[in-house]
Amino acid sequence: MKASAPIGIARARGGRALALGWLAAVAALAALGPLLPLAYAPAQPDLAHLATPPLAAGSAHWLGTDPSGRDVLAEMIFGARTAVGISLGAAVLATALGALLGGAAGFWRNHGWRVPWPAWAAALGAGWWALALPGAPAALVGAGLGLAGTLLGGPRWGRRWPVPLDAGVLGATALLGAVPRLVLVVALAGTLPLTPGGLLAVLVLTAWPGPARLVRAAMLRVTAQPFVAAARALGLPAGRVWWRQALPHACLPLRTAFPLSLASLLALESTLSFLGIGLPPEVPSWGHLLGTARTEPTAWWLVAAPGGALLFTILALQYLGRARGPGPAK
Amino acid sequence: MVKLLLVSLLIVLLVSCSKRRTVEGQPVRILWTRDPESLDPLVTPNQSAIDANNLLHLCLLSVDYSTKRYAPALADSLPKVQFAGDSLTLVTYHLRPTATWDGGRPVLARDVAFTLKLMQVPGLPNEANKAQFGFIRDIRFDPTDPRRFTLVCNGQAPGLVQESGDFLILPEAALDPKGSLRPYQLGALNDRAATAPADSILVKLARRYARANLALYPGRIPGSGPYQLVRWDKDHLLRFQRKPHWWADALRPAPPVLEAQPSELDFVIIPNEASAALALRRGSVNVYPQVPVREFRRLQASAAARQQLAFYTSLSYDLVYAGFNTRRPALSNRLTRQALGFLFDPKALLLATQAGLGQCTVGLVHPTDTRNYADSLPPLALDPARAVALLRQAGWHRESTASDTFWTRQLAPKTPPQRLTLLVRYRAGETAFETIGLQFRAAAARLGIAVELRPTENASFSSALQAGDFDVYLRLLKGNPFYFNFAPILHSKTVGAGNLTGFGTPASDRLIEAIPLANTLDSRARLLRKFQRLMREEMPLVPLFFRPNCLAADRRLVHLYPGGLKPGYAAAAIKWTTPVVAVP
Repeated sequence: MKASAPIGIARARGGRALALGWLAAVAALAALGPLLPLAYAPAQPDLAHLATPPLAAGSAHWLGTDPSGRDVLAEMIFGARTAVGISLGAAVLATALGALLGGAAGFWRNHGWRVPWPAWAAALGAGWWALALPGAPAALVGAGLGLAGTLLGGPRWGRRWPVPLDAGVLGATALLGAVPRLVLVVALAGTLPLTPGGLLAVLVLTAWPGPARLVRAAMLRVTAQPFVAAARALGLPAGRVWWRQALPHACLPLRTAFPLSLASLLALESTLSFLGIGLPPEVPSWGHLLGTARTEPTAWWLVAAPGGALLFTILALQYLGRARGPGPAK
Repeated sequence: MVKLLLVSLLIVLLVSCSKRRTVEGQPVRILWTRDPESLDPLVTPNQSAIDANNLLHLCLLSVDYSTKRYAPALADSLPKVQFAGDSLTLVTYHLRPTATWDGGRPVLARDVAFTLKLMQVPGLPNEANKAQFGFIRDIRFDPTDPRRFTLVCNGQAPGLVQESGDFLILPEAALDPKGSLRPYQLGALNDRAATAPADSILVKLARRYARANLALYPGRIPGSGPYQLVRWDKDHLLRFQRKPHWWADALRPAPPVLEAQPSELDFVIIPNEASAALALRRGSVNVYPQVPVREFRRLQASAAARQQLAFYTSLSYDLVYAGFNTRRPALSNRLTRQALGFLFDPKALLLATQAGLGQCTVGLVHPTDTRNYADSLPPLALDPARAVALLRQAGWHRESTASDTFWTRQLAPKTPPQRLTLLVRYRAGETAFETIGLQFRAAAARLGIAVELRPTENASFSSALQAGDFDVYLRLLKGNPFYFNFAPILHSKTVGAGNLTGFGTPASDRLIEAIPLANTLDSRARLLRKFQRLMREEMPLVPLFFRPNCLAADRRLVHLYPGGLKPGYAAAAIKWTTPVVAVP
């Protein structure tokens, strides 16, 4: 039994190195894509070579072409840029948003944060305006006045009303969690323009509840710790205690969750592109390339290259996520 | 011995009583890629709806697919034509004496008059019919024969006679039992202004028609066609059963346009081409019309499929084209449109997307129509240098920054310069359009013109085009060899309806109006050639190529009459050849 432990550790280290190596290679391809001397640019159809297999005679397409004549190699390399740009961007933003909202909800709960009534008026007016309800301009004016009153009035406003942060965040996560993510994203993608920015916004909007729940749960434990009580006893402002003392500790579980979240977002982006409702066709994407195999079922290279890249990237991210969390890999 | 005999007899009896189906009795299963969505005879949103309605109702004249000419259907012979003055044509029809509605009521001239008037009643979804059949100004009955009538038509164009008989006749007794439309003159209904005060009788009739909800329940009115709809599983299957006693069965010999061979016609809806090909090879469907060329080639290459299937190709009347939104300031200038037209590569696109089976064209007229086709025009080809020259001529300047190249134009002094960027829309999931879009985008990018491709879901595609939310769109234009009426797509009066480009000049309007009214084939040909030259000059549309019509069907099926005319086969004429097959 004792002898197997070092072997397990060595295997884990080897697996970790392999996963990191693969992810580094993908990141390097994404970063260096425009500098590489590629024979064909992405999204540029070669109408003389449609659905050509790799290394076909008379063709300079090393990995073949898709049914529209796009070079698979160029699509793969620039697809890595899209995967890294969109999925990583969405994962970072969703994690940051989730951490802030979950951390605030766990720290202040439903009664910890109190604001004067002009702030409520400002929020109500802004919400009214954002929903474009009747009288939206008046609501915007009201929101502006409320904001000015909050900023200028200071402690003059007397009674402050609590903001039910915890209930709000939990309600929003429950609402977003009640609908399958793919369905929600498909519905949102139908209303927003299919630009990379729009897709990023949709992915962030649907991915923040996971980190938020994690950080909220951790924050509930952290706020009971003596060092937080000590900071409060010293008379430090609540916001400072939250930001400097509590939040960094509450965010620790995100180190494990982040690679898994990235993997799921990468899969989601590829699924959307595969279904043809993700990015526009001129934006290279592994999922889109995989989707072109539907019109050319015999073109194995359209499945092998993007499918393999997706599989290895998601496996590497999952491995890293599990290696950090509890379980045998650790 | 006796026992053995008895057992043998019993076996013979059981076998003979067991379910036997002849191939002839088997339904013919035809593949559709789209659900008809509506079976209202006035609203035919797609080809599936047109095909379905043609099984339920009949026209006065129908295309005989064996001769590719119009032949009498509800009419007993081709109409007699008389010219009145220099602007009217009198077309006299006589209905078949045996023609009846379900239930036995005869089809009479009153039904024809009712249908023509119904197509002009305000408040009904009849805009397309109104525009198409507005040239029929009056109907005159023969007091001695309830089946004889004369249509008074505006114009003396050669194609007018066929067009005057190409609409589905609906039963007056079912939709207007009190004959409330009879007092109205067809011409008066035609001329009725959209702003005219509401007429209570017409409003009531429109309400009654809407209540019938024929879009979903076509069986609520009797038909004169050979089939009735017995099952409609939305987006899955439509089953039509042949009427056991159809009036045309008594005709000897049966005219080809009134053939109704299959006892049952199943239309199986499979939008995905790979699944459709699989269904064809499995035998779940017997006819696969308009097979995408790539799939067609794949089937042809398979030895097993060749044993099982027959393959037919012909040149269709489906034109693949690009349209410009001429209402956009950047595209309101014809030189800009011409320049962008030179960024398409029709020849390479035809080869790439249709395996070279279709045909490139210089205009909207079919290249096989040698009389009317403007063969003096050079074919459009990819020519970036010419595009650059035309853009400069249109006032555009190429500017470059460290990271970007773009084209700008100063529309008016002291206004910010306008930048040339294009949003291209096409129906999502269409590989051919995606290839065209990518080719155009790549050619434009080489010049520094930013192009954004926006594949749009089917339902939102039409509404986006109607709303003018595009710069360029890629689409299919379905045509036929009989009529040359470009008003619905290019006349300034139809801007906001069928004219998606927003194009229309007094000169083009005059020409479009004159073409259907031309008295002789030669004068029409002159006008059509002039029209094609004008369109090349103005370029609201870039005609790319006509698609091929590829059809794959079970080898045992005959009388398909494959051809370029929609739907590319004659569903009701199809027959099984193999005489008898027992199905245990």
